[in-house]
Amino acid sequence: MSVHDFWTPFSLLPFLNALIIGISLASIWLIAALGLAIIYGTMGVINMAHGELIMLGAYTTYVFQSLVGVPFLICLPLAFFVVAAIGWVIERGVIRTLYTRPLDTLLATWGLSLILIQSVRLIFGGEPQYVGVPSWLNFQIDASFVHLSGLRLFIVLMAIILVTLTWYILYRTTLGIRVRAVMQDKEMAASFGIDANRVYSLTFAYGAGLAGAAGAMFGALKTLFPDMGSAYVVEAFLVVVVGGIGLIGSVFSSALLGELNSVFSYFTNDTFARFVLFTLVVVFLRFRPQGIISEGMGRR
Amino acid sequence: MLELNDITSFYGKTPIIQNVSLEVPEGKCLCILGRNGVGKTTLLQTIMGLTTRMTGKMMINGEDVSAQPTHLRANAGLGYVPQGRRVLGKFTVRENILLGTFARKDDNRAIPDSCLEMFPYLADNLEKRAGLLSGGQQQQLAIARALATDPQILLLDEPTEGIQPNIVAEIEASLMRLNKELGITLILTEQHITIAKKMSDLYLFMDIGRVANHGKTKDLNDKLIQKYLSI
Repeated sequence: MSVHDFWTPFSLLPFLNALIIGISLASIWLIAALGLAIIYGTMGVINMAHGELIMLGAYTTYVFQSLVGVPFLICLPLAFFVVAAIGWVIERGVIRTLYTRPLDTLLATWGLSLILIQSVRLIFGGEPQYVGVPSWLNFQIDASFVHLSGLRLFIVLMAIILVTLTWYILYRTTLGIRVRAVMQDKEMAASFGIDANRVYSLTFAYGAGLAGAAGAMFGALKTLFPDMGSAYVVEAFLVVVVGGIGLIGSVFSSALLGELNSVFSYFTNDTFARFVLFTLVVVFLRFRPQGIISEGMGRR
Repeated sequence: MLELNDITSFYGKTPIIQNVSLEVPEGKCLCILGRNGVGKTTLLQTIMGLTTRMTGKMMINGEDVSAQPTHLRANAGLGYVPQGRRVLGKFTVRENILLGTFARKDDNRAIPDSCLEMFPYLADNLEKRAGLLSGGQQQQLAIARALATDPQILLLDEPTEGIQPNIVAEIEASLMRLNKELGITLILTEQHITIAKKMSDLYLFMDIGRVANHGKTKDLNDKLIQKYLSI
């Protein structure tokens, strides 16, 4: 293999397309990471089963679409609510008893992820399943340097909608004030009439619901396997770790990582791009372990 | 009216407060006195339900709240000004006061006029981040936040600690007003005996997690102070 085969020289229009693919990639990673970031940011719980919640969202969509015949657009909120309900049960049943033991939470949620994978494998079998892309998303944009499928455009839009919705709930509603109060000082929040346990349940359910909605979209993007979650959870963790605290951090880091990945894979290839990206993240965290946005930085 | 009956309170498995009984009639002011580390702060935390566990019986206005978690005790009429103020630094002054309204019995989410009237500095800086306020201003905010809960009983943990003298007088005056004019029951811990004598109707000395002595403030004499406060 010569260097020339490995290294794609720069040319403007394909490079611009790579940037657009980067946005698409960033939106996918952001959607995958959003629920994880909310749960970690609010409760300090590292949910190792997050990828499996995405997987459950995908299978929920598959069940409603293929077996019941619900249209895709309705499947999205259904996946959100079904997985949110599962998340609520997980918080009540497992996580609640482990708030004072973060390492055990890590282990428990990892065990949970194995249980979820096996359960789905028992019910649906190990062979791939498919979520159909609705016909109104079955188009392709091919204008000069832009090549983007309708579904990917839809995912970019959904990322914007979900981030905006989450921001609105956190910063513009009374529930959001309760959540942010518990985030800052749980005891003080409780001393002023806030039921912190209820806030935790709702937050976990909401984060799980976001994972469910993510799964609905990823199911349409790729095939469904019981262990598909692991493909997304690595990127989700990268986004959260690099982003640091808060929504804005996740938005910035997903954009940054998505673009970097896309640009590197334009010049080289996907595998090498991933290698460079992971290396860069390690170096970045060596110098800024708190991530892009840190606790002490002002929001106003 | 707050009644504690044979309360023992734990951090983890260690009992910190042991067999404490006390009674504060409505509209009175109780001052909890004692040396450092005898459990004054823990007693207030116990009343708020912030320790790991407590045994015994606690009543607020005749309602048994012994088994209630913190947020329901707040709803039952307790307002809390903790040690070190603990205002939420990322919230604005307005959001901090708004936090107080979550413990109200009515669902009124408006910032009470009385809070702003009592602390004009806060009224002028509602959109300022609480983390940027000075210690004295944060203490005023902590009191305003507790007042926003529309409390029947206000618990204050060393409200004058680490605050410059002219603001101490200001805070003292507003607390007296709350107690005498609005009839809010006050329970405060204090190191300064002069402030305690000036404000309170009742006193209580603590020693190593227990009530050592209690009575009416007018009966408080130097011998008692010598015995329980001097080092």
